[in-house]
Amino acid sequence: MQRRTTRIAAGIAAAASVLALTACGSGFSGSGSSGSTASGGTGGLTSSKSALTVLIGSSGDAETAAVKSAVADWSQTSGTKATVQAASNLPQQLSQGFAAKKPADVFYLGSDTFASYAKQGDLLAYGDQLKNKSDYYPSLVTNFTYQGRFTCAPKDFSTLQLEINTDMWKAAGLTDSDVPTTWDQLATVAKKLTKGKVAGLVTSNEYQRLGAFMVQAGGNLTNDANTKSTVDSAANVKALTYVQDGLKAGWWKFTKDVGAGWGGEAFGKQEAAMTIEGNWIAGAMTTDYPKVHYKVVPLPAGPAGKGTLQFTNCWGIAADSKNQAAALKLVEQLTTAKDQLAFAKAFGVMPSIQSAASDWKSAFPQFAPFLDAASYAKGVPTSVGSADVVTDLNSKMAALKTADIKSLLATEQKNLSAVVPG
Amino acid sequence: MTTTTAPARTAAPATTTGAGRRRRRPFRLGGALLYVVLIVIAVIYIFPFLIDISTSFKTETDATNDPLGLLPPTWSVAAYTYLFANSDFPIWFVNSAVVTVAVTTGRTLFDSAAGYALARLRFGGRNALYAGFIAVMAVPGVVLLIPKFLVINQLGMFDSYSGMIVPLFADAAGVFIMKNFFESIPVAVEEAARIDGAGTLRTFWSVILPMARPALVTIVILSFQGSWNELAHFIVSTSSPDLYTLTKGVATLSSGAIGSAKRYPVQLGAAAIMTIPVAILFIAFQRRITNTASGAVKE
Amino acid sequence: MTSATARVPVRRHMAGIRRGQAASGYLFTAPAVIVLVVFLVIPIFMALWVSFSDWGGRGSPFASGVHFVGLKNYGALTGGGGLAEQDFGTALRNNLWFVILVVPTQTVIALLLAVLVNNRILKGRGFFRTAFYFPSVTSSVAITVLWYFLFNPTGAVNQLLGAVGLHGPNWPADASGVLHDLLSLVGLRTGPGFLVNGSFLGVTWWDWLSGPSVGMMIIITMVVFTTSGTFMLLFIAALQNLSQEVEEAAMVDGATAWQRFRLVTLPQLRTTLFTVLTLGLIGTWQVFDQVFVGSQGDPGKTTLTPAYLSYVAGFQNQDWGQAAAIAFILFAIIVFFTLVQRWVLRERGVSRRRMRRNGFDRNDSGEYAAADRLLTAAAVAGAVQNRDSSGGSL
Repeated sequence: MQRRTTRIAAGIAAAASVLALTACGSGFSGSGSSGSTASGGTGGLTSSKSALTVLIGSSGDAETAAVKSAVADWSQTSGTKATVQAASNLPQQLSQGFAAKKPADVFYLGSDTFASYAKQGDLLAYGDQLKNKSDYYPSLVTNFTYQGRFTCAPKDFSTLQLEINTDMWKAAGLTDSDVPTTWDQLATVAKKLTKGKVAGLVTSNEYQRLGAFMVQAGGNLTNDANTKSTVDSAANVKALTYVQDGLKAGWWKFTKDVGAGWGGEAFGKQEAAMTIEGNWIAGAMTTDYPKVHYKVVPLPAGPAGKGTLQFTNCWGIAADSKNQAAALKLVEQLTTAKDQLAFAKAFGVMPSIQSAASDWKSAFPQFAPFLDAASYAKGVPTSVGSADVVTDLNSKMAALKTADIKSLLATEQKNLSAVVPG
Repeated sequence: MTTTTAPARTAAPATTTGAGRRRRRPFRLGGALLYVVLIVIAVIYIFPFLIDISTSFKTETDATNDPLGLLPPTWSVAAYTYLFANSDFPIWFVNSAVVTVAVTTGRTLFDSAAGYALARLRFGGRNALYAGFIAVMAVPGVVLLIPKFLVINQLGMFDSYSGMIVPLFADAAGVFIMKNFFESIPVAVEEAARIDGAGTLRTFWSVILPMARPALVTIVILSFQGSWNELAHFIVSTSSPDLYTLTKGVATLSSGAIGSAKRYPVQLGAAAIMTIPVAILFIAFQRRITNTASGAVKE
Repeated sequence: MTSATARVPVRRHMAGIRRGQAASGYLFTAPAVIVLVVFLVIPIFMALWVSFSDWGGRGSPFASGVHFVGLKNYGALTGGGGLAEQDFGTALRNNLWFVILVVPTQTVIALLLAVLVNNRILKGRGFFRTAFYFPSVTSSVAITVLWYFLFNPTGAVNQLLGAVGLHGPNWPADASGVLHDLLSLVGLRTGPGFLVNGSFLGVTWWDWLSGPSVGMMIIITMVVFTTSGTFMLLFIAALQNLSQEVEEAAMVDGATAWQRFRLVTLPQLRTTLFTVLTLGLIGTWQVFDQVFVGSQGDPGKTTLTPAYLSYVAGFQNQDWGQAAAIAFILFAIIVFFTLVQRWVLRERGVSRRRMRRNGFDRNDSGEYAAADRLLTAAAVAGAVQNRDSSGGSL
């Protein structure tokens, strides 16, 4: 009896304290309402003297240094202080920042996760206020449009192509004319290149690589407008069957099976004669594996022609930022041709604006295939929750070699349909 | 005066009952076998740590090609140079140290004060409070990941030292240990102090606490180790790189971003260094630690 | 024993000088109580609200725009056929196998080590104790980093296996279930129809029976390595408490060492054994650090655990309601095991009526002291061991 009353008493005390906390909680939220009006896209940006925080998901020291220097330059000319932080776990740090109502002002945002933040009202939809709005590639603008509003400026983009180890290529008696342009040719050269510990082609088992073959077969996870899930399309089945055949024949291996973290690692350690990665591979090859000679060629065409995937990030601006006006100016600076080319030199990305394309190509002629793909590359699903489905698909494709492709895709079709708006 | 020696004896019971008593038994073949078995197991338990240390002095290639060798083919301090000169490792170390010292101090004070009150002072609701402490002890830490973030955030302590330190003062188990200890101390000493006219606070500070040294050591060990090794709480309470602790920082080393290969010597070097303070504590109080649980189980 | 006799006169005297104690009592307990209430009790109620709300992670969960959504978050996890249900089912499956393997193994090893080390004629006991216990005090982050190095495909473990002619698997990348692997050795590669077609929480019965994945074995061995030392200490303490007379009598009767252990020692260790099992159950349901640092749920989501899933749902996907719901279901599972422990102990030892009548009055009987000692042991072991689960402070 005595124990029961004490328990009740404790419960009441706890409930009371929660109420007290609730009261102070609503006090907190009052201050945030100004942010949400700004996100209405009325053009009424917040403006203050407060310094900006820029949160980036950096690929390494080179990228961090390049962004820091670009932001420092802007600070000097604009007079607004700004600090750059390299996140170790970008989604977590963003989520915590939004919940705490002290988000970074400007931050990287992947196209696959941007919608979930936009949905919560975390983001300032500033796309239409950009001076260079029409210069961005239209497909990138689509990626960052949420409910009809161009939300954030594409930062840069990357595409996948085929990388070939030229020494192994020669050693196998192959010449430039053997560069594969069809799936069959890819299989043929890969078989020739497979020797001992070296596999002809090593890629990760993710959709973010294998998806290129879906596009070449005429499929993808969703339609181009991201309004319909098409995971179980015949084209996708065809693509994965092709990959599966390669795995069974042994000329295609997944990175996890050779103990590498990503394709570039297997390629750099010369455990793969070919790999499929994006333009980011350039930096890693120069710093980690300078002795490996390689070249970049377009991926072979599939039954439906040429195809590859493109990835992109944007510069998000927080709805709760206290200095949105300055943040917008900073983003405009960071997306100029000059800054984007500097980033390209530092860490191998491609400019998101069309006017910088020719300069980029003349600076990096050997990587031209990446930029050429801009005209035919397809994006990854962007709806809220689709990133989870892709993660799930990736985990299942780890066992692609023995998987039942149709039932695998059917499951994910169900999962993706649940989150794609259409 | 005789009474003051009594608590010391109760405090380290394992030495008086367990290890102290010896039984004669003839040495048999089984004895030799026992040593062999124990040595084999000990090697299994120690070997991983030796590999850790040796790998941290290897080059990256040697680390991959010769993961078993205890002597690096080529000695390299590149991993340590990187950690101390080119990474935030020193910041992490300082943060861990600051948090650990603060948490340990706070817990020791809070636990002993509360434990003393629950053991000795009569006040309304004492039993209820005690029941509350026991109930709270049963709450699994992992369930609190999200709620703790919510509260820290709500109190405006997110991403600050206070958010990292203050919530870790909560330590029902420590209160429990202290209460049990104080109950085992004879009351005579306190009474003598009281008759001399000392107030409760002074009695506690200058008479009780000095007597409680063995139990305080236990609390210090537990909270030092607990806060030095804590990870989940720092994940939820901070985000700025300036507030990374060793646990959080080393965790990021292992999940390298794309384009960076796994740098085993660096990871293992960091792991080795972060083990050193706990190892020192462990060696210094080895006897006390291995008796901690014993002391708890026995009265 | 000594303290029990000392207490009686104490009480009588205490009555005389009770004045002013109440104030000090509140003053002394206030700091600990406030911290516990603010960072433990209130968070639980806050999270409970979030688990019933549609809070999206922007600003306060008590703001006006946040709505009560009833059981929606719980419903998405336990039904509906979506990805959330599948992931939750998978995480439960993984953790269940983890528990099934870790708890008995760590208990048996801990008991074995304790019995070996407790031998009274053994020289260098201190050294062995230290060696076995040391992994328990080191950081789970450090151990995880080390363990994933040992188990990488060309790492130390596979080299050792290679030395005895075995080809080790690609540990961190192998998502196949150990039990499935064993079945495929005897030619059983796909499950029987009734297992494949039926499912629970979005996972087919056949997949529930997969066993832990090869990748999960890394974490399993690691946790056994680090916790066995802690529990060894509990067993050593219990062994030292055993009455020597019974064992000596058994020796005189000519019982073998094994018979003595099984018939004399083991029954006396029942309480401790039970404590160790329960602490093990509670701890293993909370695996987080190792997954966060080492595997992030890979390979193929087979090391996803409810604790880690809850973190991902909240801190990465901003699905805070669902994250909180996962945490509370996990809470329920752990509370269940704790209650089972209490119940079994109560049946055995203290009479229920007596316990209730006396509440928490200390001077009642030896039985309460026994329960109390057990709790202290639990507290110590829990505090020592919390690094093996989430690290959250007790």
